[in-house]
Amino acid sequence: MNRLQGSSSSAKRKRELALVSDTLTDGERVLYNLILSKRDMGIWSGDMKRETNLPDHMVKKSLKLLQSKGMIKEVVNIQNKARKHYMAAQFEPSKEITGGDWYSEGSLDKELINVLKNVCVKYISRQKVVTRDGVLDWSRKSGVITAEVSNQQIEEILRALVLDDEIIEVKSTGYGDFENVPVGRVCYKSKSKGGVRGEPKDGAMSSIPCGVCPRINFCTPDGIVSPRTCVYYQKWLDF
Amino acid sequence: MGSQYGLKFAVHLVTNHFGKIVAKVCETLFRKGPLSLGEIIRCTELTPEQVKNSLLVLVQHNCVQAYVPADQFRDEEESTVTVEYLALFDNVIHRLRFPKFLEIAKRQLDDECEKVLDGLLRDGRLTLKQMVERAVQGKENPGAIEAVVRGSFHKLLKAHYVERCPAPEPVVSTLIKAEPAPRKRGSKMAKKFEAPETIEQRVMEAALPGEAIRFAVIEYTGGNADREANSDDTIMVNVGDNSGGIANEGSILWRANFEEFIRHLRHKLLIENERKRLDDGAATILSAILDATKNVEKKVKIEKSVPLSLDSIFTEVTKNEYGRTMTIDRVRASLVQLGCPQRNLDDSYSIDLKNIVEMARNEEVESIVLKRFGGDAYRIFRLLSKSNCFLETDKIAELAIVDKKEAPRLLYKLWKDNYLHMEKLVVTAAKQSRFMLWKVNKPVLWEYVLDEMYHAALNLSLRLAFEQEKDEDLLHVSRDKLTPTDKSGEVNSVQKRYLRLRDVLFLMGSSLMKLDDALMLFHDF
Repeated sequence: MNRLQGSSSSAKRKRELALVSDTLTDGERVLYNLILSKRDMGIWSGDMKRETNLPDHMVKKSLKLLQSKGMIKEVVNIQNKARKHYMAAQFEPSKEITGGDWYSEGSLDKELINVLKNVCVKYISRQKVVTRDGVLDWSRKSGVITAEVSNQQIEEILRALVLDDEIIEVKSTGYGDFENVPVGRVCYKSKSKGGVRGEPKDGAMSSIPCGVCPRINFCTPDGIVSPRTCVYYQKWLDF
Repeated sequence: MGSQYGLKFAVHLVTNHFGKIVAKVCETLFRKGPLSLGEIIRCTELTPEQVKNSLLVLVQHNCVQAYVPADQFRDEEESTVTVEYLALFDNVIHRLRFPKFLEIAKRQLDDECEKVLDGLLRDGRLTLKQMVERAVQGKENPGAIEAVVRGSFHKLLKAHYVERCPAPEPVVSTLIKAEPAPRKRGSKMAKKFEAPETIEQRVMEAALPGEAIRFAVIEYTGGNADREANSDDTIMVNVGDNSGGIANEGSILWRANFEEFIRHLRHKLLIENERKRLDDGAATILSAILDATKNVEKKVKIEKSVPLSLDSIFTEVTKNEYGRTMTIDRVRASLVQLGCPQRNLDDSYSIDLKNIVEMARNEEVESIVLKRFGGDAYRIFRLLSKSNCFLETDKIAELAIVDKKEAPRLLYKLWKDNYLHMEKLVVTAAKQSRFMLWKVNKPVLWEYVLDEMYHAALNLSLRLAFEQEKDEDLLHVSRDKLTPTDKSGEVNSVQKRYLRLRDVLFLMGSSLMKLDDALMLFHDF
């Protein structure tokens, strides 16, 4: 069955290629075959010139033509957004090119991430304690998350929330809040007690001007930057 | 190199408390290590009289320890020996904490004990006789006051908040174990804050066995105090059986035992951190364990609590009001929460205290990163701090969900400010490629952050003095002119300035105390 399908699709491709080849010049065909051979990685126009040895204007012209025929497309390469990067029309750019699930149009989709984060934090703080599977189950069934988000993405969001210190990862002890969770299972818990968002962190250093001072390394008692003349102190002590 | 700003801050404190000349002597000792009197005179270019007096002041306030290097005996047996002086960094910094120590004495014991301790902290070292004289001065009914002072002194001694002063000029040697504990502190300082010259190493080695002697002193007097606490009227007559009767009441010098106060503060931090992280139950249990084993702890920075069986933990826990509500199962569950999933072989539990301290340190540094570098950097830092190994730039961006273009920039910033350690890796396979690997190097970072904290403490203290100086005239204005009196509640400019100064001093004072907590967290705990 598989082989049958395989052979039929390869035949189809050959047919397409033949069709395409008919209408293309030699140069265009060489370029197209090169781009096609790179599959979902695509190729930078500079590399095309190097690999095909075609003159600059010819490459430009051919790319334009191929694009207008809908045979290739330009994609954004996360590694270098300024470079013109091309890919055959039938491929979707790979993760290396797009940057992964969180990227759209070559930049990080912060909005989506923040929305997902907020939704997850709210759910976890309501639940007191919840396992990873619990969050995944809920994310699929509740319908709160409308965008297409994979389980892996939810897991990544949970991991980022742990790094944000919004939630904490704990192992179930089987007592108290963990009553319904098997002992030893990894759970997520809202950082603060009672489900209310915790008060912002106030470290001893970070609550005084010196703790966040970008110039502390230049500051000396009698120097140009000194505690007596410090503008940050001035602001801090401005009652 | 040791903590540059630590020394600067210590010298600043000495200058504030004892003036510039004493500070100069102290600074010389910090910078050059232990010196003899002659050497100090040469280095400071002060008169012998000034240096001698400065040293007397510093010794009186436990900031300098004199000792005799033992090798002198080997070289020339009969001739006079030279005494060397070693500045004790920790004891100088402890001066910042006196208000905290007084607060502990007040809370745990009573107001009278606080007064006796206050006298000791102010004067550095006192005999019991001097303490009594100090309290009786200019008051009626001296007999009653004397009894109160003696009672308070015994309470302080029983709680180990007071200790006998170390021998004035012990011989430092690995052979003769005549080394009291402050040598230990001093030597730690020497190791940490001065170039590791041979002389420091020798002092440090010599210091080690001394610890036992020092604790013997405490056990001894502690036991004595126990005995005497039972019979109120018997005073410290038999303190030194070897030195004979009532006469030594006027000769034995006492001082505050900073170590016990620091231990108390450390315990408090451990308990409060676990309360915040876990719950009241866990905090109660940790508190009970630490209380029960307090007297067995050999040093302040113990890594694990002294092993205790479940039964004895439970007995201790039930002494506490909240603890009485706990069942033995609950106690066991809390022990698991505290990180002892299995008991040790001998059916005892021991809690990893170092880990709690480490978490508190992490939190402090993370809060700095959050404020200074923002949320994305905070996530990156926490990722690296938790994973505790090298990670590659792209991997970091992926795991912390930070924009791949943004991540290298943030990593570079963190690295440039010494918060990260970076290594370049060049792989020459089919195509040469370079990778940047990043890591949080905690021991190095902790030292760096500590130095920055000393710097901040120095700055706070300097600015505080500056603010006071600026509005000095307000101090001479009479009090009733400073508070708004008329009913309209209007404030004139002088009152406005006074109110501002009051707020400024309060904010800066409390910030300094809080910063001092962080200093202890990174240096003493």
